[in-house]
Amino acid sequence: MPEASLLTDEVRAIVGLETPMGRVRVTPKAYRRALEVYTGRIPRNHPAPGEPVPGYVLAALDSEADTPAMPSLLPNSLLISNEWQFERPLRMGEEFESVYSVVAINERFGGRFGYSIDFRAEVIFKDADGNPVARSGRTMTQYSAAEARDGGDA
Amino acid sequence: MSLDPAAVKEGDELPVLHLQPDLGQVIRYCALQWAFPAFFYDAEAAKAQGMPGTLVPGPLKVGLLYRAVDEWLGDAGWVCQVRAAHRRPDLTNRPIDIAGRVARVYDENGARRADLELAIINEQGEPSVRGFAVVEFTSPA
Repeated sequence: MPEASLLTDEVRAIVGLETPMGRVRVTPKAYRRALEVYTGRIPRNHPAPGEPVPGYVLAALDSEADTPAMPSLLPNSLLISNEWQFERPLRMGEEFESVYSVVAINERFGGRFGYSIDFRAEVIFKDADGNPVARSGRTMTQYSAAEARDGGDA
Repeated sequence: MSLDPAAVKEGDELPVLHLQPDLGQVIRYCALQWAFPAFFYDAEAAKAQGMPGTLVPGPLKVGLLYRAVDEWLGDAGWVCQVRAAHRRPDLTNRPIDIAGRVARVYDENGARRADLELAIINEQGEPSVRGFAVVEFTSPA
């Protein structure tokens, strides 16, 4: 365990900073690819413009831009959770402005990882009026395998 | 048979979704995200990192939870939220079951909603993912 917290003012300062990721669009291609990935089905047709699409199409919109790298404070990292939130169903053809931000950084003491730091980040998809429509979030934990119980494995 | 929102109650179980994510599905997911960590598709690279084999990506699993809920819900509503807490890795080409139950049914802002508890269970019967979802019913209750 480090003698002092690794959450310096510089690290904490990234919380809440918004990084524009550009415009994304719910396209027939995004729909087809997401449907094939998550269901194994290859659709013959796609919803008409304005019709709802499954929320997992969000995964096809996520990839339009690279998210900024997290600061590397500890040698190992692990994905511990993912979350999708929707204010309403996504619809074919609509466009969103996507914005990335780190929404929380917390340090933890003890547990199977020993001293660890959780980074929670999300991409928000906003409509033309700037209203959030969907969020794709993930939490990564950074830890030192040398100090973790069982090397941090489950 | 379509879901009747009026009949949904706490304790109801979702149909178990039996899946076996294979390497092809994982590679398609990597392509969707345009992200290719080698331990997702290269068994030797996975073993070099101390893993027993190629892994099913965590973000793919949140989508599989979504699918399980969406297929149960059908036209009776929409999924507002789904969350996956990853407990242990799942290997490709191994069977997994997605199970769920209705934890709470309630009204919020004039809409009928339900909270769902979800889990991905591996072939050893252990939960590899603990999940949670919120759905909103759109059909008349």
